[in-house]
Amino acid sequence: MNKTETTIKLETDSKLVQEYQYGFVTEVATDELPKGLNEDIVRAISKKKNEPDWMTDWRLKAFRRWKAMREPRWAKVTYPEIDYQGIRYYSAPKSAAAGAAEADPELIKTFERLGIPLQERDRLAGVAVDAVFDSVSVATTHREMLAEKGIIFCSMSEAIQHHPELVKKYLGTVVPAGDNYFAALNAAVFSDGSFCYIPKGVRCPVELSTYFRINARDTGQFERTLIVAEEGAYVSYIEGCTAPMRDTNQLHAAVVELVALDHAQIKYSTVQNWYAGDEKGQGGIYNFVTKRGHCRGAHSKISWTQVEVGAAITWKYPSVVLEGDHAVGEFYSVAFTNNRMQADTGTKMIHIGANTKSTIISKGISAGESANSYRGLVQILPSALNARNHTCCDSMLIGDKCSANTYPVIEAETSTAITEHEATTSKISEEQLFYVQSRGIDEESATSLIVNGFCKDVFKELPLEFSVEAIKLLELKLEHSVG
Amino acid sequence: MTTVQLTPEAAGLPGFDETLLARIGGAAEPALLQEKRAAAFAQYRELPMPQVRDEEWRRTDPALFPFDRFAPSPRLAPVPRALAASPWDEEFDVVVCVSDDGFSIHDRTGLLNSGSLVVLSLADAATRHPALVERYLQGAARVKAPRKFSALGDAFWTFGLFIHVAPRVVVPNGVLIRYQHRAAGKAVLPHLVAAVSDEAQLTIAEYYESPADAELLAVSTRELYAGRNATLRAASLQEWGARTYHIGEDWVRAERDARVEWVTLLLGGQVSKMMVSCDVHEPNAQAYLSGLFFANDNQHVDQRTLQLHSAPHTYSNLLYKGAVKDQGHSVYQGIIDAAPGAIKVDAYQMNNNLILNEGARADSLPGLEIDADDLKCSHGATMGNLDESQMFYLRSRGLPEAEARRLLVMAFFEEVIERVPHEFMRERVREDVRRKCGEGA
Repeated sequence: MNKTETTIKLETDSKLVQEYQYGFVTEVATDELPKGLNEDIVRAISKKKNEPDWMTDWRLKAFRRWKAMREPRWAKVTYPEIDYQGIRYYSAPKSAAAGAAEADPELIKTFERLGIPLQERDRLAGVAVDAVFDSVSVATTHREMLAEKGIIFCSMSEAIQHHPELVKKYLGTVVPAGDNYFAALNAAVFSDGSFCYIPKGVRCPVELSTYFRINARDTGQFERTLIVAEEGAYVSYIEGCTAPMRDTNQLHAAVVELVALDHAQIKYSTVQNWYAGDEKGQGGIYNFVTKRGHCRGAHSKISWTQVEVGAAITWKYPSVVLEGDHAVGEFYSVAFTNNRMQADTGTKMIHIGANTKSTIISKGISAGESANSYRGLVQILPSALNARNHTCCDSMLIGDKCSANTYPVIEAETSTAITEHEATTSKISEEQLFYVQSRGIDEESATSLIVNGFCKDVFKELPLEFSVEAIKLLELKLEHSVG
Repeated sequence: MTTVQLTPEAAGLPGFDETLLARIGGAAEPALLQEKRAAAFAQYRELPMPQVRDEEWRRTDPALFPFDRFAPSPRLAPVPRALAASPWDEEFDVVVCVSDDGFSIHDRTGLLNSGSLVVLSLADAATRHPALVERYLQGAARVKAPRKFSALGDAFWTFGLFIHVAPRVVVPNGVLIRYQHRAAGKAVLPHLVAAVSDEAQLTIAEYYESPADAELLAVSTRELYAGRNATLRAASLQEWGARTYHIGEDWVRAERDARVEWVTLLLGGQVSKMMVSCDVHEPNAQAYLSGLFFANDNQHVDQRTLQLHSAPHTYSNLLYKGAVKDQGHSVYQGIIDAAPGAIKVDAYQMNNNLILNEGARADSLPGLEIDADDLKCSHGATMGNLDESQMFYLRSRGLPEAEARRLLVMAFFEEVIERVPHEFMRERVREDVRRKCGEGA
């Protein structure tokens, strides 16, 4: 395989940068594979990661399945045909390839600019971070402290090297390689991601976090995250993402798998702020992500919280399979779309075990000419005796050129279950606006206040710092969408 | 008439071909109807046969309908009296009886002579009121592109009824239509067109019945029009026998200031797949859509609704309640569609489901598609069994369990039953629900 070195010029359109402050490009030498996708590329990715044969075979199997699959078109999003041969499936900063532990100062700077401390001196921040830059993980912090507790928190590549038995045991058990088109693609070419393993009875003392950054042009990001919480373990995991502003679309097809055993709890929070394209819909990230949690054990709990404010197109349904008796699944979501953004997002709650409970709170806000859809499934199988679901999906419309759609599906196959679903769609309340404005607050701030109130049920589920961040982000995104 | 190339049998139902079209429509029919049938037939031939992989048929496999077991019944002719009188007839001005022998129209109060109310077979109406038939048959209420079975109904209807109320006429007691089919192995395709002119008022009651052991296929199509400031209240009670299969397609359209009430009561039949599309077409129009379905034994009910708000300042209110028992399976799918610019719309959609025992299944898909901003649309859906504390309350008052359950199921449905305009039908539905709950319920 040819190695190509590229340096990317800093894009200097300052006006744009103001609007999307994470839109800068970092100049780093990269180690890349050529564009395009075939079995050789899959093998080359596997080779670069020095993977064992079983992993290479797993990838190849997934690739063959992917080739036989068709891209799904049922979501309410439109986009031009994706040229899968025009994407670069592997791009890594050269320094990172040498050794992930000592990160390139340039990369550290990048992550600091993004507000992500990578150096150990920041350990007081109380968050352990795995930073993923394009295709590879560049640094993982707080390792020793976590290792003392037996917690494994490292990049997926390292996990395959050092903990093959765990990876083998859990990888692809929640989202099988052939689950769907984008999951199959991910299984074939995934380059990195985070691996967390919380042993029996351990409560992870810090929030674990991964920060994803797409930097190189024409690359796709295909990370794969696997979190396993053993009996009685607890972990809170945070994910953040940004990308430079480019006028071409970039593909992000990630897979996240969560496994919770008896009495284990996993809390997964995402603030997704990929570059969303400009107001004409030019550029932006296609965020086609498969996230699923498996409450395998009794009394286990998986909670998804997502704040989706970026990406040109979001196609994402974080789901929970509630297999263990008394398992609990939660989904809290704020999806904000503006300009020409399109979001088709929601969740699936599959109730299998008895006395399983799920809660879905989804808040969609559409502004500009965007389209925002909630799509959800609540499935109660005959074995899910006394299952309980409550779903509330509210949509708010700001402006008359946007659309809001709600497509829930509820299937109940036991008489002992109770499900409730309610949804509303309305414009921002004039009465509330009037009330706030009559207190001397201008229209834009008033709108922002009301929207924040609208999203409160979701924001309060986020870890504190993240919650503050999310509120600020939404405020920023709301600017200029009023009037 | 255009000739259509014959395609393999798989493209359609056996027997529904050009020969049948010539026999059912044929030279005996007015040219207007022949043309409409031919156009629909061309569409029917072009449309693919629904497959279980189609989103609309995912939950109701087309294979549930044994189409090859039914021979098309001939077009019905007028007969002196198709059915014996029924005590219900007394509540109405006009009674239409439809059976395998033919149809008869009974003018009980002399309204038909006054010229303010027209109740005729489509064939007679096309001769005597061609302009009206031209306007309303396959008219503006058709907000969706034709689909396989709506085109089938439009091409091959075996009995067509045309009702028209002249402007500013209030029909005091309304029209009752009774369908009673007994011949097994037949496919019947009733078609109803009812148009209420500006500022007029009409009530319609429809009733379907067949014996428990007769295997029948019904493909019904209904078009209901309410003109400006008109009121149309209509209810349909489907009490087919346990071996009848029904596919139905309804279109409802309300113009400015009109009020439409449409109640669908699905109690009988083996498999029923119904679609109601309601276009709240002009400002201040109001639509009330109600439905009741109860699937027990191994019944399968699939009910779809569309509340289309194509104009600003329109109102719609939908309430569909269903129960499933034994091995019954119900599907409800509803969409509220607010078109761009449809501001100040107030739309509501509620679907409640009772799952009365293990083995029964209910699916609910309440949807919203909103393209305007200044409006209020909401929906809700619930599933569950009877409330335990209510059961406890009734049992503590000494009611046997079966009786307490029955009472709560009746209470659950009463909210819909109250929306039925006719007392006889309300009583009948209550009886049906009571019977379906069973002794040991």
